[in-house]
Amino acid sequence: MKILIVEDEPSLKEIMERYLTQERYIVETAETYVDAMRKMEDYDYSCILLDIMLPDGSGLSLLKNLKALNKKDNVIIISAKDSVDDKVAGLELGADDYLTKPFDLSELNARIKSVIRRNQVGGQLSIVLGNVKLYPDKFEVHVNETPIELLRKEYDILHFFMIRPGYLVNKTNLAESVWGDHIDQVDNFDFIYAQIKNLRKKLKEAGASIEIKSVYGLGYRLIAE
Amino acid sequence: MKLVHRITIRISTVLLLLLTVWASIFYFILMDEINDETDDSLEDYSEQIITLALAGRQLPSENNGTNNSYFIRPVTNEYAAQHEGFRYSDEMVYIESKKETEPARILKTIFRNSNDQFFELTVAIPTIEKDDLQETILYWIIFLYLLLLVSIALVNFWILRQSFRPLYALLSWLRSYTIGQKIPVLSNSTKVEEFKRLNEAMLKTARRNAEMYEQQKLFIGHASHEIQTPLAVCKNRLELLMNDPELSEKQLKEILKTLEDLEHLVKLNRTLLLLTKIDNFQFQDTKTININDLTKKLLDDFNEVFAHQNIDVNIEESSILQPRMNETLSNILIRNLLKNAFVHNQEYGQVSVFIQKSELIVENSGQTRALPEEEIFKRFYQGSKKAGSTGLGLALVNSICKLYNIKREYTFNNDRHRFRLVFPASILI
Repeated sequence: MKILIVEDEPSLKEIMERYLTQERYIVETAETYVDAMRKMEDYDYSCILLDIMLPDGSGLSLLKNLKALNKKDNVIIISAKDSVDDKVAGLELGADDYLTKPFDLSELNARIKSVIRRNQVGGQLSIVLGNVKLYPDKFEVHVNETPIELLRKEYDILHFFMIRPGYLVNKTNLAESVWGDHIDQVDNFDFIYAQIKNLRKKLKEAGASIEIKSVYGLGYRLIAE
Repeated sequence: MKLVHRITIRISTVLLLLLTVWASIFYFILMDEINDETDDSLEDYSEQIITLALAGRQLPSENNGTNNSYFIRPVTNEYAAQHEGFRYSDEMVYIESKKETEPARILKTIFRNSNDQFFELTVAIPTIEKDDLQETILYWIIFLYLLLLVSIALVNFWILRQSFRPLYALLSWLRSYTIGQKIPVLSNSTKVEEFKRLNEAMLKTARRNAEMYEQQKLFIGHASHEIQTPLAVCKNRLELLMNDPELSEKQLKEILKTLEDLEHLVKLNRTLLLLTKIDNFQFQDTKTININDLTKKLLDDFNEVFAHQNIDVNIEESSILQPRMNETLSNILIRNLLKNAFVHNQEYGQVSVFIQKSELIVENSGQTRALPEEEIFKRFYQGSKKAGSTGLGLALVNSICKLYNIKREYTFNNDRHRFRLVFPASILI
């Protein structure tokens, strides 16, 4: 799958490129409006990651041109602006998703996968790992095609791990993603441990082939057997 | 105390002193003049009597219709030599016609007849009229003096009020202006040079302040905006690095710690951006928010997260609180208020929430001393340094309250910190 990164910030561009290459995408980059426009006209991409503010023009008008060319490329807007107006404008112009800087690379990967899946004919909107399938739209989890009952927080935790398979996840990140900003001054993470214990039990009982492993003193890692 | 009152009081005090001196001087001059006149008539009278006596003619009878009286007695040469000229005095005299003793002005003089015999003539004019006169004069002086004082005070008051009108207009204009908002029009036309200059100076200061405030806001906004991308890159690099299998556990821990600090920075930056946005009125869309539901949902979350602290939470709802607000902001407002109550609590402490028609009260136990009310709502105020705390939570509460004119209060009573929000009727449903 081919991905085009349109980003003028060299450091961010480099890290995205490195990560996505590591995730086995074919990655191309463009740093300017003109450069991006030429590449978009000449090639088709599975997904275009579009920065709104470019030195020689706006990412939004790039998006407009792309749609005018009748191209079906998926577009995820990446912007440092976290304003509703920008989000709405971008999505109205036909962007598939909107990601605000700073973001997690694994989050980016999950979004890319999600938009590509969504636009595949007959494609399922599920995240699959081993014999576990997670349906983000329906908030459902299936193990061996059988749905399992998860509480909201348990589902959120599993979702968080499923889009970061094999990656080391630290407790703060996990807690903040699942519980929101409430936890930013907490020094005791027992509540995470309790939830993960229950989740592990449920996964094991359903015979799941994935496991959330503790990495002592650091956090957790989702391992697929 | 108003300027007009102060000036009026001062002028009255000075006038009181001045007029007292002035009235006394006036009174004494007047009395002196009256005595002078009386003495003149006494002299005339005595001359008349002496002339008559020397001519050997009949002296006027004692009952001549006036209360004037006279008395002639012979004196020795020595006595006459010692008492030359006219001698005046005020004495009590028995008046035959009235059969009573009255105060009188007395003139004593010596004269000599053709036989070189010396006589002393004593002439008396009762000063009944003089007493009355004194009284009347004193009465009128006091009355006129008070009248004058009151009229001067009133005129002064009125003139000052009129003259200071531009000053009061300027003051009310200043009061209507809050920094960060549009500068109101200053319509304060005046012909007085000083006030004109004051108007100009105030307008100029207001404009410069507004400009500086705007610049500062822009700077914070831009700075936090520009910091976002490098922060993201740092975070992402560390995340990638963390998954390098060749790293030792020690190295991993270091990276994790760095990552946590970075997270803190990201959060700080995000909150500063949020504050800037609130202050820039970037949360325009509003909807009806059920504060009761929102509070209960957030309390559930906090209860779970702070379960290890065993905090006793209770909520009392006497009514539904439903303001029209921006959804994001209402969430931030309630969340930060509640978070504050949990974070600064102690083990086995309490959090109580009271919801009324237009009020939300959050009470919590915690450190047993009052916090400075004006300080705690400022940015980066931290009573005691907490790891991971941005020190911006209550600053957010403050900004949102200011935006919606919500009255916020902090009190400390019975070892409990009490935060009270009073929602204005204008945003209540």
